Amino acid sequence: MPEQKVLLAGTDKHDLTKLAEYQAIGGYGKGLERARAMTSEELIDELQRATLRGRGGAGFPMGRKASLIDRKSSKPKYLVVNADESEPGAFKDRQVMAEVPHRLIEGCLIAAHAIESTSVFIYIRGEYLTEYEILQGAVDEARAAGLFGGVEITVHRGAGAYICGEETALLESLEGKRGQPRPRPPFPPIQGLYYAPTQINNVCTIATVPTILTIGAEEFAKTGVPSSPGTAIFSISGNVVRPGNYELPLGTPMRELIYEHAGGIANGRELKAVIPGGSSVPALTPDQIDVPLDYDSLGAIGTFFGAASLIVVDDRCCMVQLALRSTKFYAHESCGKCTPCRVGTRWMVQILESIENGTATRADLDLLDSVGDNILGKVLCALGEFAVYPVASYLHKWRDEFVAHVEQGGCPFHGSSSLEGILAPSDQHAHAEVLV
Amino acid sequence: MSAELVRVKIDERDVHVPKGTGIVETALAAGIEIPVFCYEPRLGDPVGACRMCLVEVEGMPKLQTGCTLTAQDGMIVKTARTSEKAAAGQNGTLEFILVNHPLDCPVCDKGGECPLQDLTFRYGPGNTRMSYEKLTFEKPIPISPTISLDRERCILCYRCTRFSSDVSEDGQLVAANRGAMSVITTFEDVPYTGAFTGNVTELCPVGALLPTQYRFEGRPWEIVDVPTVCGLCPVGCNINATVRETKVKRILSRNHPEIDEGWICDKGRFAFTHLRAEDRLTQPLQRTRRHGLEEVTWEAAIDEAERLLRAAQGRIVTALSGSETVEQAYALGKLLRAGLGSHQAMLPEEVSGALDGYRLPLSAIRDADAVVVLGDVPVAERAPVVDLWIKSARRKGARILDSADEVGDAERVVLIWSGPGGRGGATVAKLAEKLTLAGREGCGAFYLPTTPNGRGVADAWAACCDDESDEPDSIGLLVVSGDEAAADPNVRALAEQAEATIVLSMFGGLSAGWADLVLPGTSYLERDGTFVNLEGRLQRLRATVTPPCPDELHWIAELAARFDVDVAPYAAAVFAEVSEKVYDGLSFGEVGESAPLRGYPDAAVRVDRPSLPESQAKPGKTEIRLVAYKPLFSGAAVERVTELQFQRPQPEVELSAEDAGWRNIETGDLVTVGSNGNAITLPARVNRRLGKGIARVAIEHANGLGGIVELARAAEEVSA
Ligand SMILES: Cc1cc2nc3c(=O)[nH]c(=O)nc-3n(C[C@H](O)[C@H](O)[C@H](O)COP(=O)(O)O)c2cc1C
Ligand code: SF4
Ligand code: SF4
Ligand code: SF4
Ligand code: FES
Repeated sequence: MPEQKVLLAGTDKHDLTKLAEYQAIGGYGKGLERARAMTSEELIDELQRATLRGRGGAGFPMGRKASLIDRKSSKPKYLVVNADESEPGAFKDRQVMAEVPHRLIEGCLIAAHAIESTSVFIYIRGEYLTEYEILQGAVDEARAAGLFGGVEITVHRGAGAYICGEETALLESLEGKRGQPRPRPPFPPIQGLYYAPTQINNVCTIATVPTILTIGAEEFAKTGVPSSPGTAIFSISGNVVRPGNYELPLGTPMRELIYEHAGGIANGRELKAVIPGGSSVPALTPDQIDVPLDYDSLGAIGTFFGAASLIVVDDRCCMVQLALRSTKFYAHESCGKCTPCRVGTRWMVQILESIENGTATRADLDLLDSVGDNILGKVLCALGEFAVYPVASYLHKWRDEFVAHVEQGGCPFHGSSSLEGILAPSDQHAHAEVLV
Repeated sequence: MSAELVRVKIDERDVHVPKGTGIVETALAAGIEIPVFCYEPRLGDPVGACRMCLVEVEGMPKLQTGCTLTAQDGMIVKTARTSEKAAAGQNGTLEFILVNHPLDCPVCDKGGECPLQDLTFRYGPGNTRMSYEKLTFEKPIPISPTISLDRERCILCYRCTRFSSDVSEDGQLVAANRGAMSVITTFEDVPYTGAFTGNVTELCPVGALLPTQYRFEGRPWEIVDVPTVCGLCPVGCNINATVRETKVKRILSRNHPEIDEGWICDKGRFAFTHLRAEDRLTQPLQRTRRHGLEEVTWEAAIDEAERLLRAAQGRIVTALSGSETVEQAYALGKLLRAGLGSHQAMLPEEVSGALDGYRLPLSAIRDADAVVVLGDVPVAERAPVVDLWIKSARRKGARILDSADEVGDAERVVLIWSGPGGRGGATVAKLAEKLTLAGREGCGAFYLPTTPNGRGVADAWAACCDDESDEPDSIGLLVVSGDEAAADPNVRALAEQAEATIVLSMFGGLSAGWADLVLPGTSYLERDGTFVNLEGRLQRLRATVTPPCPDELHWIAELAARFDVDVAPYAAAVFAEVSEKVYDGLSFGEVGESAPLRGYPDAAVRVDRPSLPESQAKPGKTEIRLVAYKPLFSGAAVERVTELQFQRPQPEVELSAEDAGWRNIETGDLVTVGSNGNAITLPARVNRRLGKGIARVAIEHANGLGGIVELARAAEEVSA
């Protein structure tokens, strides 16, 4: 299947950061007009029929979420766009903001109309400075052109915490508080930003909305697979020939993405593992990569669609090192609010370090498993589980490698292992070492 | 409010509770404990942080936190008692909590009264699988002179930070850093300052936040907690005094849901060490011609007192403090009035019974729709806990107003008068009458007095004799009762006119220069008796420790006998006499450990005549009325507690934004305040909540100024 551009449509021939060019290809046109001619109910109904599933990770249908908004509430309704994109391996939202900011803005205007909101906040990852400037420029330009129709859009920069991508922590942060998740229920559609009904969606989710309104839900649903219509931008990184973003219909086989679009494994190495949804999901072995890339197919083989971000791992990589690297990241990013994640992730780092340096016993492998179990399903938000999912999958699928560490009293790769291009530590997290 | 009842099944037991009841409470109603650490409903919405309360709920795949769930009809909940999954989850949580815990229970002051210890014994795994290095922190860290923080023991339940942000609303205690490195701290390590900081030491479920005064001072098996009532302000918070080997070691709150909801102020909590102040008197002092005040025996002192009382020939004036118990005031009054015909007494403030028809428990403030706070003295300085009730009312959606004109159609209206003036409540009673608040549900009015028991003292004084007399032309003897009166400049001025002065005082420093006879006094923590708080609630004080001197009732009775006046030396007997006339014959035993708010419709004696007319000069256009208020952290007891000195008010004058604006004054600028040649220069603080024409200064920085003053930037003065 060739690339099919919906989100990124028009970017090959136009500079869509410019309002005029976006309008020239039909932007702020038929889709927005159609939406504004509809009542809130009609619009939500249209979105529901499109079955647009949230691209931020959980895959919850966007239209259904809008239908849950407590529109009878006397409080204002808010639309919040999650542009905090901080999952290791994910870099799709930034391309949307950098190249098609107006499509995101148009999506905001339509979604705001659906939930009868006049206040939209876009919470953008603090490190995305260029993207912020482009997006803010586009917001200003569209506002000045009188396209907002009474809606106000505020772009708010985060301050560098992964946890602020979690929707309720994001709301706390937006309110000026410490970015930590809230217990749910109450869910944001009932009680979100400033205790008011709030719709939260990922950048790609919202940026897909204008197309749905332009071509209609039925036409939109013809792309992709019935349970997950449309296209997604897949970020693919790691040991492939052509890492990058590829927009493909949902349901495209993973093998096709890796071997055709991304050019296969780099340097003639062997494929060892694929982490399909960003670093937080269970990894797949080479025999599992014929899976279609959609929410339900990936769910059926025990992993997640997640942030549509594939990390491809070749045979040079030591899975214990990879586990340690990944766990250090989540331990560093744990917000510290709930006990199992705050304490458990640090403990996992300690266990993994002892496995890697050869001081662990077989009992420590069971301990690692058990500590993970005590986190899974007991935490306040999914971050704690994100720390465990990948590690548990490495431990179970590559158990021999873990056992070898224990039995040989050290890493069987003898220093030849490489995380190059996968999750190699960046300077930014160098200070994470002080954690343990 | 009768919410719909729903049926919930918990561990095979059916319970019916109002819809929306928390699952922790629902389980409790079924007789089942769900262990918690972070859950504390007084702190607002649950946060679900500690994960101790995990339960299984039918229909939900993952374990749920009981503390964040509410009862819905037909809900089926299994706690760790009947669900293996929940038990495993809870074990996991407890193991995690203990992974980095130092387990230094043997040297931890919380040991023996620690929820973490208790729950570990009851639910814990019994051993640890943690063989790696634990997290360590420098410890203990003083987060203020009164509170120590041990970060290793902290389980990050966020109770303390939630108290700081959502109850006292001071926002000073915060969590810094992330993940395992998260720590409780104050911004830039500035000491945690405010009226209520000590409450976090009781909220903390582990030994992380502890009162420094109590460090290594007691163990649960060697202490007794004696229930009593705080006597330092008119709120009358219910407290326990922790006593070990005849010494008070610590003050804890003793939750009275209508008065204090379990919060007490730092004065009430930390000022108890005044009991052991260096200048505490235990022996009477008598003035001798050559050596000034000298210690004498109690027999000699009583003889001298008798001599002075007789010599005055009825020309006796009594200066009361308003901190005497009802019984002390009555005993003294009976001796002086019935025995010696000396009826003249002065209280530091006016007292009135005018609000008796508008009584409400303090907790009614929280449920009000509109709270009108009148007066210019900060509520927290007069009656700290009232400020917390006002804050919780605002959080619940009440309008907090500074004028009754804006009440509108609010149903539940509460008026609060916070001085100066106010004629003991008579002024606000008038307003309540105008707003027809009498008898309306949830409506009422409060007056915040300056003394802890002014009303009780006035009642008692009125009850001991029906006669009256005119003010004597000359004062033969001035009897000064209590430290507040002894510290009052007006009283000292009176002493100069008096031929002789007897002072009852705890501390030598107060009366050294001018008393002829000093009789050692006791503290509220050493007295048996009753107090009447600002709600009009009669409460029971207990002698939590034996005073280092005979208590007042004891020697007043002895002295009275010499004048053939019958005064019993026991509080219960004295109270019985007062009660006949004032409290409808209520017996001492019935006052109660957690006293209800009673009315006394049949009282024969009632204080209801404020003597002075309201006089409040209105400031002119460019004038300012300076309110010199008595700060919470002031008074004889506070002055004697070193570790509370950091809480005393800064020398500064607060003024309204408007007054500051046209004078071109900003916070921090020096301003000069003066009248009649008396002037002070202090830094300014602009307070947006102050009304135009009002400036505020703590009385200890006022240099005697008050009333209408001129105020200007100090720099202008210099250049002009
Ligand atoms: C730790 C954590 C980090 C997350 N980070 C992001 C993120 O960076 N961007 C995002 O869109 N969603 C993120 N999510 C998912 C959001 O909580 C939320 O589900 C999503 O924004 C909803 O949008 P959607 O329905 O359009 O997917 C994160 C979730 C967790 C638990
Ligand atoms: S799981 Fe981790 S990140 Fe999420 S609330 Fe708990 S401590 Fe914070
Ligand atoms: S110091 Fe105490 S109250 Fe504060 S978070 Fe730690 S354990 Fe909780
Ligand atoms: S508020 Fe008043 S009664 Fe309560 S503890 Fe403080 S001083 Fe004592
Ligand atoms: S008590 Fe429920 S999570 Fe802490």
